[in-house]
Amino acid sequence: MSLAQQFRTGDTPLPDIIILTHKLARAYDMGGEVVRALRGVSLQIRRNEYVAIMGPSGSGKSTLMNLIGCLDTPTGGEYWLNGQKVSDLGDDALARIRNKEIGFVFQTFNLLPRATALHNVELPLIYAGLGAKERRAQAAQALERVGLGDRMEHRPNELSGGQRQRVAIARALVNDPSILLADEPTGNLDSATSGEIMEVFGALHRQGQTVVMVTHEHDIAAHAARVVTLRDGLVATDQRQAA
Amino acid sequence: MTSLFEGVGIALGSLRVHKMRAALTILGVAIGVMVVMVIGSLIAGFNKGLSDMLETLGPKTFYVGRFWGGAGNEDPDDPNPWRRRPPLTIAEAERLEQLPTVKFAVVDENANADIVFEGKRLGAVSIQGRDADWPKVAGGDIYPGRSFSPLEDKANAFVVVINIKVSEQLFGERDPIGHRIKIAGLPYDVIGVYDPPTGLFGEGDQNEVFIPYGTLVKNVPYRPDWMDFFVAPEDSVPIERAIDDVTIALRTMRGLRPGQPNNFDVVTQEKYLETVNSMTSVFKVIMIVLSMVGLMVGGIGVVAIMMISVTERTREIGVRKALGATRREVLWQFLVEAATLTLVGGVIGMTAGGLISLLLAAATPIPAYVPLGSVIVALVAAAFTGLLFGIYPASKASRLDPVEALRYE
Repeated sequence: MSLAQQFRTGDTPLPDIIILTHKLARAYDMGGEVVRALRGVSLQIRRNEYVAIMGPSGSGKSTLMNLIGCLDTPTGGEYWLNGQKVSDLGDDALARIRNKEIGFVFQTFNLLPRATALHNVELPLIYAGLGAKERRAQAAQALERVGLGDRMEHRPNELSGGQRQRVAIARALVNDPSILLADEPTGNLDSATSGEIMEVFGALHRQGQTVVMVTHEHDIAAHAARVVTLRDGLVATDQRQAA
Repeated sequence: MTSLFEGVGIALGSLRVHKMRAALTILGVAIGVMVVMVIGSLIAGFNKGLSDMLETLGPKTFYVGRFWGGAGNEDPDDPNPWRRRPPLTIAEAERLEQLPTVKFAVVDENANADIVFEGKRLGAVSIQGRDADWPKVAGGDIYPGRSFSPLEDKANAFVVVINIKVSEQLFGERDPIGHRIKIAGLPYDVIGVYDPPTGLFGEGDQNEVFIPYGTLVKNVPYRPDWMDFFVAPEDSVPIERAIDDVTIALRTMRGLRPGQPNNFDVVTQEKYLETVNSMTSVFKVIMIVLSMVGLMVGGIGVVAIMMISVTERTREIGVRKALGATRREVLWQFLVEAATLTLVGGVIGMTAGGLISLLLAAATPIPAYVPLGSVIVALVAAAFTGLLFGIYPASKASRLDPVEALRYE
């Protein structure tokens, strides 16, 4: 960890560090009782890293994932994403950040069931304010990138699980985000399909994409170059490994 | 703008998926809008008929009568105030016609009598006693033939102008001009056929004939004392001046002292319109209330369907937010969806209402007509209902927490 910046409150992260959390905390008020899901996570992820976040259920990995994904705001500490401090931004500013900086891949794919693959991939571009023609072109390109150039007009229920997840990956990539954020991306897939999806992730990483993936499966985490393990709301281990 | 079309597309897609549910919601709005359209077209038709009628009369013509009741000013202690008033006389009409500010004063006296032609009898035909100027105030056309001349008028000639309805019944396809008919037992020469303007209450539909005033008074039994005048001011004279002159002339003839009230009434078209409008404004209030109730019922349906839709699509909302939709964009999407629902209802209701109005106009004497204004009002009201009643569900959707929404099963 000698490469990590010695970060103190008031500092700004080095330009190469795309994700920096400093003593990040998140507490929930559960009917009077305060549950501290994260108790001070300090983590630095550089551009083009491939990181898996692991941990047993209740370790806080989903909470950390929601904070990194700007879906939630911390109750303590700082979060810097791509040189911008986002931990104290409001709802709409976070929505803009999500649109620009983050590509989500979910366990349950979360595609709009009545929309075609192409339209699903277009969604982030709609919120980015792009015109219809440009949207269509970029979405088609993203689908081709994940090998679904011939399935653009299919609806999710006409696609296999692996194909659905590829659509979701295309949707995550279409805005050219700073990080690809995947939450149990193979949780709903069989092992052969899981392998295919992991190959897609690997290829994206080789092309320069920063990938952060939450998983509880060791063989999936093994695809990443670095594994961060959480336990009881704190970082337990942080190891680099041979891909 | 992009998200507007997006919203309309999503809304139409959602309508396709939940046809029954959407149909019921739309029906509520459609009925509300239909009520607005039908009642609106009735009022519009009525007003149009009125202004058409007044137009044929000439905008400056006014009415002088023994008593003008107007609407709603009956006094229970004095139910028959006209009893104290003397009837108008032909001498008064002649005096008014001599005023420099008056172009003509047409007298109007009427009776009911039977008409006979070649053994065919029409009972209780309205016999109008007029002077030679009457076609100028009555509107409509006299064709074929002509009306009576001032000379025939002065001579109390036995000539008659019959209206189309009488002509059809007595003569069928034949040309009535030059034939002789009997009115109240006396023979008259038919000199013209009168085609009346479209009347407000279907006046043109009754059997009606026109004879010189003097002829009527002398030869047809009538209920006296209810003659009235239509007075037209000279072209260059303002109506107020003519009214003043007429009022002064009548007061002088009747020997009224200053301070005594008029014992006759002068009514302008404006005043007439006012009276009619005060009646139609009651209709308008009823229409507004009815349509508001209708739209509100539709609106409640909109709230219900949108609440269900928001709940069902919680996850979709979560996904959209994760992909970068702001609160405003989510709010907008659901507002547009609600407005699309009601707008579809509005279009259906408008079409149904328009058809009913046309049917009414064709099948009954009510001159219903659909003005462009009420089409626009109906559509705007429908869309506005959607926006208004969509606010609550849409704002609920927009305030969903993305983490919670994504976790929703």
